[in-house]
Amino acid sequence: MSGGAIPLLAWGALLVVLGAINWIWTGDAIQVETFAFAVLVIIGSAGALVLMSRQALRHGPPQPRGDPEAVPQVSVAAVVAGLSVGSIAFGFVFGAFFTLFGFGMLVASLGRLAIEVRAQRRSERSLKEGRS
Amino acid sequence: MSTATSSVVRARRIPGWLGIATSTDHKRIGLNLGILSLLFFLVGGVLALLMRAQLASPNGHVVSDNTYAELFTMHGSTMIYLFVTPMAIAMAMYLVPLQIGAVSIAGPRIALTGFWIWLCGGLVMQSGWLTGDPGRDGWFSYIPLSDSTNTPGVGQDMWVVGVILAAAGLFVMAACVVGTILRHRAPGMSLMRMPVFTWTALVSVLMTVGSFPVLILVMVLLYIERQGGHIFIGFNGAIDYQDLFWFFGHPVVYVMFFPYLGAAAEAIAVSAHKRWFGYTFFVASMMLFSALSMSVWGHHMFTTGGVTNEYFAFTSTALVVPAGIEYFDMVATLIGGAIVLRTSMLFALGFFVQFLIGGLSGIFTGSPALDYHVNDSYFVIAHFHYTLFAGSVFGFFAGVYHWFPKVTGARLRESLGKLHFVLLAIGTNMTFFPMFILGQEGMTRRISRYPTHPGWATLNRIETAGSVVIALAIASFLANMWVSLRRRESAGEDPWLGHTLEWATSSPPPAHNFDRPLPPITSYAPLLDLREAAEDRARAGRGTPS
Repeated sequence: MSGGAIPLLAWGALLVVLGAINWIWTGDAIQVETFAFAVLVIIGSAGALVLMSRQALRHGPPQPRGDPEAVPQVSVAAVVAGLSVGSIAFGFVFGAFFTLFGFGMLVASLGRLAIEVRAQRRSERSLKEGRS
Repeated sequence: MSTATSSVVRARRIPGWLGIATSTDHKRIGLNLGILSLLFFLVGGVLALLMRAQLASPNGHVVSDNTYAELFTMHGSTMIYLFVTPMAIAMAMYLVPLQIGAVSIAGPRIALTGFWIWLCGGLVMQSGWLTGDPGRDGWFSYIPLSDSTNTPGVGQDMWVVGVILAAAGLFVMAACVVGTILRHRAPGMSLMRMPVFTWTALVSVLMTVGSFPVLILVMVLLYIERQGGHIFIGFNGAIDYQDLFWFFGHPVVYVMFFPYLGAAAEAIAVSAHKRWFGYTFFVASMMLFSALSMSVWGHHMFTTGGVTNEYFAFTSTALVVPAGIEYFDMVATLIGGAIVLRTSMLFALGFFVQFLIGGLSGIFTGSPALDYHVNDSYFVIAHFHYTLFAGSVFGFFAGVYHWFPKVTGARLRESLGKLHFVLLAIGTNMTFFPMFILGQEGMTRRISRYPTHPGWATLNRIETAGSVVIALAIASFLANMWVSLRRRESAGEDPWLGHTLEWATSSPPPAHNFDRPLPPITSYAPLLDLREAAEDRARAGRGTPS
């Protein structure tokens, strides 16, 4: 997507400047480290976008997409994944049962999610082939 | 003309409640998040009313000292982690894909997972009440107050776990909104053609992505500390905790502000029938505002002696520059506009006027010399309630009245809306303005009983009466929603002559947002462009000069 990395890089650059001033002015290690973490997340995301597509650095409006897009409408697995994370965390307070149960549900839901994503890609492929 | 996407493969649907709970449609996730946030707002509001009942007299006996500590902790935590922040993300989740012409959100399944993680967090946090001992160390849970020696009991552990889950869920949903803006814009929708609200949402979610992991980290460390981990030891440990907490804690204030600023800006531009003034400067100021607000957290720690006050006073004061640009843009948009004072416009103006009081009092608290005087007093409570309640909540209601017709297809009643606005404006100022006076005179926060100094009881009674007026205002809003949804007045696609793409589709929008080609996108107000072009053509046809 054209230009996607630009706001991240611009915002990351502002954070770098403010972090550098903080470093020079305060010299406080924990403050510099938290700043560096935020910069890393933002610049790292920009880098990931650029690696996915060089278009991410290009100015101007996005071009029309050539490929069809499949959009899921429901996902029981995503709900179960969310609940299992909740169960795992709840288990840290109320006992190992909830944690183990949560891990079990998480593994099952991730497996189901993988099946859903494969089915989505299959429908995109078949639509693309049908079009060509 | 461009289309939102080349084609869309539709999957099966599940009817009923299960369908609502498992839907990956960004509109449904945004609505679910918004409705549940609103319910948590009502819970937080009831807790606030109980606090105000206790403070109606100097030696109130409504609740015990310990229960009062639980009330202010759970009130603050509910409002911040479960209402204002998630509501901002909910608005972004619902509106951003529509405003940029996308058919869905990036990573819809991930967004749905994030919603459920957040909900688990909310339920775990609130179920602390069932243990009879919920969190009672404030929404920041400072060390050493919150360690297992000073706050034993499972309720505080549940609070910590609840915060971790809520923050993780919000982080995940924010990441999906970032991905949508950066990778799913419609053909023609360049960055500098994105609507004002989308820009405010973008900087908010960037701040969420950059700062919420630090909250998750510090809460995990607090949990380990409470299990005997010895992480935060002595004075330096307490300062390190505060440094880490406020690295999240101040940016989140702006996450709770920017989207509501965007909502108020959209309502003002549409109700003034004018383009938002100074768009480029506004975008630049948003970038600067959000970056600066990542670097001001130490002003919460001026009096600890553990931070370099000069640096944080400098960055905190520098915030007035981008804030000034936004106010200038707002006033310039109003000048010369054909203003219609509908309810959304009233709330938007209320947002800007009242946030000004919060912002100006922030200059006081951003100055170390003055902060030493007002620290831990009711002045600070007044300041942040003027930013977050008199500011953000008014911006939220501006957004509700502006976009309710788009979301439901029905209009909210204007008469009830204006009653809601008047009651809320009166109640808000009655409740929070006397706090400035009490704080200046030395009334400290987090106390359930206070000395009988002259005037203090009267001011506190005014505040309590104000909180009842706020409750009436919220009741009138709920009544308005009930009436408007029961006896629907059809709103049509574009009842306000909107400027942005969400008004170019049906109300409520179809499953994949747009069932027709999008209008040409040549600026941040494509529908206004179309209308102006049509007016120009009509004028040219009549032979009158433009």
